[in-house]
Amino acid sequence: MITKKIEKMLANVQKPGRYVGGELNSIVKNPDQVDVRFAFCFPDVYEVGMSHLGMKILYSQLNTLPYVWCERVFAPWMDMEEQMRKNNVPLYALESGDSIAGFDFIAFTLQYELSFTNVLNMLDLAGIPLKASDRHGLSPLVVAGGPCTCNSEPLADFFDLFFIGEGEEMDCEVIELYRRYKKENRSKEEFLIAAAQIPGVYVPSLYDVTYNDNGTIKAILPKCGAPEKIRKRVMIDMDKSYFPDKFVVPYIGIVHDRAVAEVLRGCIRGCRFCQAGFLYRPFREKSVAVIDKQCHDLCDNTGYDEISLSSLSTSDYSRINELLNQLLTWTKEEKTGVSLPSLRVDNFSTELMSKIKSVRRSGLTFAPEAGTQRLRDVINKNVTEEELLKTVKTAFKGGWTTIKLYFMIGLPTETMDDVAGIAELGQKVVDAFYENPDKPKGKSVKVTVSASSFVPKPFTPFQWEPQDTIETLHRKQRHLVSSVRTRKVEPNYHDADVSFLEAVFARGDRRLCNVLLEAHKIGCKMDGWQDCFSLAKWLEAFRKCGIDPAFYANRRRSFDEVLPWDHIDCGVKKSFLIEECKRAYANQTTPNCREQCSSCGAACFKGGICVEKRPNLV
Amino acid sequence: MKNVRIWFKKIGTARFISHLDLNRCMLRAIHKAKIPLWYTQGFNPHAFITFALPLSLGIAGERESMDIRLEDTELTREELISRLNAALPDDIPVFDATEPVMKPGEIAYASFIMELETENICAEEAVSRIKGMLEQENIIVPKHTKSGIVDLDIKPFLRKTEIAPKTGLIEIQTVLPAGSNMNVNPLLICDAIKTYLKLDFYADIKRTNLYNADFQIFV
Ligand code: SF4
Repeated sequence: MITKKIEKMLANVQKPGRYVGGELNSIVKNPDQVDVRFAFCFPDVYEVGMSHLGMKILYSQLNTLPYVWCERVFAPWMDMEEQMRKNNVPLYALESGDSIAGFDFIAFTLQYELSFTNVLNMLDLAGIPLKASDRHGLSPLVVAGGPCTCNSEPLADFFDLFFIGEGEEMDCEVIELYRRYKKENRSKEEFLIAAAQIPGVYVPSLYDVTYNDNGTIKAILPKCGAPEKIRKRVMIDMDKSYFPDKFVVPYIGIVHDRAVAEVLRGCIRGCRFCQAGFLYRPFREKSVAVIDKQCHDLCDNTGYDEISLSSLSTSDYSRINELLNQLLTWTKEEKTGVSLPSLRVDNFSTELMSKIKSVRRSGLTFAPEAGTQRLRDVINKNVTEEELLKTVKTAFKGGWTTIKLYFMIGLPTETMDDVAGIAELGQKVVDAFYENPDKPKGKSVKVTVSASSFVPKPFTPFQWEPQDTIETLHRKQRHLVSSVRTRKVEPNYHDADVSFLEAVFARGDRRLCNVLLEAHKIGCKMDGWQDCFSLAKWLEAFRKCGIDPAFYANRRRSFDEVLPWDHIDCGVKKSFLIEECKRAYANQTTPNCREQCSSCGAACFKGGICVEKRPNLV
Repeated sequence: MKNVRIWFKKIGTARFISHLDLNRCMLRAIHKAKIPLWYTQGFNPHAFITFALPLSLGIAGERESMDIRLEDTELTREELISRLNAALPDDIPVFDATEPVMKPGEIAYASFIMELETENICAEEAVSRIKGMLEQENIIVPKHTKSGIVDLDIKPFLRKTEIAPKTGLIEIQTVLPAGSNMNVNPLLICDAIKTYLKLDFYADIKRTNLYNADFQIFV
């Protein structure tokens, strides 16, 4: 329930529906009847945060615990923030309208580095001291989960604990422990030392980091009995893993406004630039029956008429045709569409295409990632030009006329010829359209080639690589544009400044906490929004702190350097990543997990594809 | 098939969503409630949904309506209402379903209750000053139209406007032209008070009813 005071501010802001709650399926409890108030904070605006599946899962799951009330909190847009600061309204949770400063848990989900300043800004808006060392009581505990916690060092000063890996079980264990310690009136220190014993929990204050003279890390030392390595948590049996039967249905339009089914976790591919591909190993599928039921329940309880089958690579689902057939038994009649957000070049068949088309058709996008075969081998993107052309021909036959191709520039070993290869590949797709004998009459083709800048990430074989400097990236972007020779190919690229900052924070260490604090002070926020991002401001923050961002973004690390995230264990062994990095330099590919196990280390979780029988490949 | 007029309120949190959002919300609720909507035949089938008169963002509605066309169905009125309520957020309650009598195009007036909460000035004082303003020869406010901003004299439309202090607030009851021909948004009255009297206040506005040209209640 929003207060009158909040209502009054809403007259002065854009999209007030972001700030009122009250949506269908939002959960309201009696605060007097719960022990734990939990603020689930997404450090971006409502429309972005509400589209996030992880938040929907944990929101519903935590609220199944009768003694917990989990509420949603999003970052207010600038206009609302201005109103809140002017009227002294602290950051509040949408369900109750209560200020979150009095909550037990302030939990953030860290999805991208560019949201880090929003985390600080939200704590500040809530009136909560930013640094963990300035918060003395047991509550509020400021915690976080999400992919960025695999290297949360740039945020280490601000958080009390991090959840490493999948949160479904671990979150509940931590809440349960907290509830006990609160009743027993124990101190925050006692709680954190005990929490560090829960598998997957990382308490940064229980680790001391020392540095060498050259600025690299000397050692990361645990204390108070905290584990030397924190191994991520994994839900091995996806069929038994909690999944909500309803979503909060937003009043206002959001980015992904539909039912989402999670068909699998992990990825069988080992694209060497892709953090998610290694972080979420092993590959685990849900059964057709479970997915079907979860889809049906969701549609029944929300009124959505579109289901998105979500995962890192849905078309790798081993029973994709069976699943689509099963869904079609009721979706057609209930006028519900099915969409696949990610399609792969190599297993896009006419059959698959016809099934998605029979319900709904969206634009076609493929990600060859690199313009030449050599570079695709380097990054282990096992897609050939032949496969791509075959796929687009299938698509053209099916009536599609616009295709979007995603690439990266700045990949390790990349030359200007590889960059030009992006434009050439786009051209070949255009040619394939005109070679198609039954192409749609009177229609033209449009191929967009979109180039983002490569950001080296922790837990990938490229975690030691330097990122191209901004100047080099700009040169490559210009080269791409000048390599395009027809208007039917449309090149576009991402802002290199943004990728640079991402690279700094992705592989940053604890010394960046001060930079973050400084950036927050000089007003950096909503960095993921083009109009808000200012590299100049960030460089000022780095200068003030005496820190050279190039040390983090553009420096090649040696294999024996201690990395800021070496105490985090995602299952995949460092020795495997080194091996993969060497294979990359030798232009050698590695088979996917379904073809052959490469013993990456993720088999330690004893489940998923690592223990499955592989069909005998001929 | 048959036409049904669904009567609902748009209150609380639902005041803060646009007409477009409301439309989507209703479509979803109808889908969720498995109400057998009648679809046009042909290549691109679509359903009939018409709202009597869209409501501006920020204003509550006490007696809003939406017309839908249903397949022949056994669904009773009570069942229709309860199924929709189960599928809608609490702040969009459905309270009736009737056979449409008037056409939405007949709507000519709408009644509003506005509660103004002033800062730095007591309600009685504010009421007398607003009354003074209402006596003026003309009351000119800028109005957004399709062809840009024009100056509009709202004085002629304020004949059915009453104002009185009410428990520390200022209550304005008014009936304004509404509909496709001439539409006067109650926010224009707020704008007038703000510009003429330099008063700062928060206005809580709700639309209470709709009428045809003869001041008969829209049914
Ligand atoms: S252990 Fe083998 S099958 Fe399992 S994720 Fe690693 S490479 Fe794939």
